[in-house]
Amino acid sequence: MSPAEKIASFAPLSAATGKPVNLAMQHLWLAGHILPAGARLVVEHVFRSGEEKPLEVIYCFPLPRDAALRSFRITGDGFEAHSELKPTADAVKSYEEGIARGALSTLARQYGDGLINLTVGNIRPKETVTVHLEILCGVELRDDGFRFRFPFTLAPAYHPRAKTALTAPGEGEMELPSSEFGDIILPRFREDPSALHQVGFDLSVVSQLELDETGSPSHAVRVRPEGNCSVRVALAPEKDVPNRDLVLDSRFKSVASQVLAGRTQDGHGHFAAIVPSSAFGGSTEAPRRVVILLDRSGSMAGDPLMQARKAIDACLGALAETDSFGLVAFGNDAQTFQPALVSGTRELRDRAHQFLMQVQAAGGTQLANGFLAAAKLLAGDGGDILILTDGQVSGTEQILAEARSTGVRLHCLGIGSASQDRFLALLARETGGVSRFVTPRERVDLSAVDLFASVGRPIASELKAGPNIQPEPPSFVFGGTPVLLFGEGGEATDDRIELSWNGGRLSLPVVCNDSGIGETVWLLQGSRLITDWESRYPSTQALASLEKRKESRVAARLLALSQTYGLASREMSLVAVVTRAGDRPGELPETRVVPVGMPQDTHFGAYFAAPPTAMFATAMFARTMAKPLDSARPAADVEEPMSVESAMMPRMSLAKKMHEAFRRRPSGGTTHEILIDLASRMDADGGMPGDTPESRAGATIVALLAFLSQGHTPTGGAFRSHVKRLVSFLQSVTGLSSRRQQLVAAAIELVRKGNAPPGDWIALARTPGPHWTEVEAAVLP
Amino acid sequence: MPYSNLRRMPNGQTLAELSAASGIPARTIRFYIARGLLGGPVKAGRGAVYTEQHLERLEKIKALQAEGRMLADIAHDLAGGPPAQTAPSPWWQHVIQDDVMVWVRGDVSPWRMKQIRAAVGELAARLREPENSPTRRDGK
Repeated sequence: MSPAEKIASFAPLSAATGKPVNLAMQHLWLAGHILPAGARLVVEHVFRSGEEKPLEVIYCFPLPRDAALRSFRITGDGFEAHSELKPTADAVKSYEEGIARGALSTLARQYGDGLINLTVGNIRPKETVTVHLEILCGVELRDDGFRFRFPFTLAPAYHPRAKTALTAPGEGEMELPSSEFGDIILPRFREDPSALHQVGFDLSVVSQLELDETGSPSHAVRVRPEGNCSVRVALAPEKDVPNRDLVLDSRFKSVASQVLAGRTQDGHGHFAAIVPSSAFGGSTEAPRRVVILLDRSGSMAGDPLMQARKAIDACLGALAETDSFGLVAFGNDAQTFQPALVSGTRELRDRAHQFLMQVQAAGGTQLANGFLAAAKLLAGDGGDILILTDGQVSGTEQILAEARSTGVRLHCLGIGSASQDRFLALLARETGGVSRFVTPRERVDLSAVDLFASVGRPIASELKAGPNIQPEPPSFVFGGTPVLLFGEGGEATDDRIELSWNGGRLSLPVVCNDSGIGETVWLLQGSRLITDWESRYPSTQALASLEKRKESRVAARLLALSQTYGLASREMSLVAVVTRAGDRPGELPETRVVPVGMPQDTHFGAYFAAPPTAMFATAMFARTMAKPLDSARPAADVEEPMSVESAMMPRMSLAKKMHEAFRRRPSGGTTHEILIDLASRMDADGGMPGDTPESRAGATIVALLAFLSQGHTPTGGAFRSHVKRLVSFLQSVTGLSSRRQQLVAAAIELVRKGNAPPGDWIALARTPGPHWTEVEAAVLP
Repeated sequence: MPYSNLRRMPNGQTLAELSAASGIPARTIRFYIARGLLGGPVKAGRGAVYTEQHLERLEKIKALQAEGRMLADIAHDLAGGPPAQTAPSPWWQHVIQDDVMVWVRGDVSPWRMKQIRAAVGELAARLREPENSPTRRDGK
């Protein structure tokens, strides 16, 4: 479809007049390939001037995780031009000289926090110009699949020195400190995105392993298989609005290592290898030292905080008395459950529950205060911190520097419809942890339980790889999260990837069998390295003036990486100047900044609230970002999107999964709510509560079969830690009658086989009683 | 550029020269013009030039920004909006509890801000105390 046709079909109309809305940017279209190692995308921006004078249009967007801009192509009536990569100062100079000459000029420049300003100047009156921007980005990997996330909007984010203003009803603006963010221009945020530019996508997902299913929890999609290892995913409705990220989930049919390898034009072989955590062995039963850090800022109010409380209860249910835990809630300041780590006893877990119940959502997101308080609890003796946050913060380099200085592993569960994915992925990776990001319309509790199951017990440590691998592999491997490696090799037939760790080693063959993939994995390696280095401005340099920063070692490294890989960074930008007949030197184009929609689950008033009218006479006011107001998230009203909790759930069709997950059962609560409740009620010895050893054993078998019936086993599913502990309790049970001891053994055997017997074990688990009769009928042949 | 140097800029400068003299990027100056913070060039088209008044206005915008004012607020003022008392300074809001919020003017002096923060902190701690705590009963 040509840009002109897209405009005809996508042009928004004014609700009041029915006439087309005069937008500077009409349309944004995402295309490209998504691989398990990352994505190579082309984002098409269609700009159109409805003005009588030339325009300069500025579009601001955040980069996805591990992303870098490679190039752009600009097209219009009778012309096509390609970008050049230049040191940022030179690119800005070229752009300004082009503008002064009256030439069509385009600049793509990166700022702190991975924010991009795409500026197109001297678009002539009534002219349509399309910028095709190539972006490389990473994906969130799991052993059995991956999640792709692309930002279609920008979230307003907390920064202690940012300022916001309500500029018109339903429209707000934000300014970041120029000392940190230079001359970045942010968009205005519209509460109602319906009259903004339209977004759409048509992407192909390609894997080496056979794909089981692909879906989206964010958008209604059409999925068309193209062979066993590839699907095409497109937006199902004709159009959509820019108020949330695109999220796509793909799941493999099997769990195995993948090596994507190929040659680049210079003949060198390059590869990306994905090694599932299961290849490194199983998790240990060593005691855990874990602090759960809960974001209680205003934007977490409502359902997210409620789900987070339940999730923490359920996570704590997986702890044994030999484990130690801490609990910290943070907003503007940090509230600590106990001044030191405590044992995972029933009594202390109950007290932790009481602490959680009095935590209220309010204030800003002083994330660094939170993890510094959590790190203090670990007292330098090692351990892990699990953060539950919406991550809506800016000035992230400073936060990352403080996080590194704590010396503890941070694991992040991000919650949000607009991406802070890049930051939270970095925060986890740079400290040796892992991260997950869910949309507010998915179950936070289940994702938290899933992530918690792997926290505190690395499967492998001191991971080492050969010198041909860059960046270095992570120091630790956690259950459920594979290791992604980029490197050179595959030119010789016997080339291999060699990995060793504390207690094991692994060798994988590298075969260059597809010339097209070589360049893509090489570029993905570059974008990953650039993202890592972007985050490494030391804290002093992160706050230093831009001039000072340019002198730093990090800036020099970024410049070298940009030149090597041909990718943009803060040190190098993309620019194109198109000289055409009829250019009018000196004419001043009129600047338009493309507005964006507020993220769909973030309340506009949380950032752009008007003060009480009694205090202020005017409609316009400004306030610092220090204390955002509470966000009232709307009740979940999921429409078309389908895939939810794909990684945490057993292998079944997405439709069945949705039905099962949200079916409200006669005994009260959905299946997941019942499982979360069961997990929370577990005693510190791993069994279910009861008056006698017999009643405890009976209730434990029923709970075990309830988890098993939903696909949770000791090695798979979000509740794998809980299942393991239930089994461990049953193995320790003695003193029952021989018949009941036989039933216990039969139940353990069922877990080993991974099959629950027929029966509504979820309903039974909700009903009081040991249920020996039902157990006997079901578990014995 | 210090304010005292303003007179050194001759009239009839290009945008690039105005940018160099003010230290503000040319793109930002165009953005200010589009927002009504700054007048357009003296002549349109090929002969577009800027004057000392443009530079003065840019210096004023910088000074107001340094005081913590936002562009929306500055534009309002510079366009001849209502006097200062009805175009308020930035305000910080401290949400202490679900039912308690304290507003604090953001442009007070640092020592005053420290004093206010301490007081707000005390209030927050006080409100967090359980109903039957001895402190509350004593009214301390």
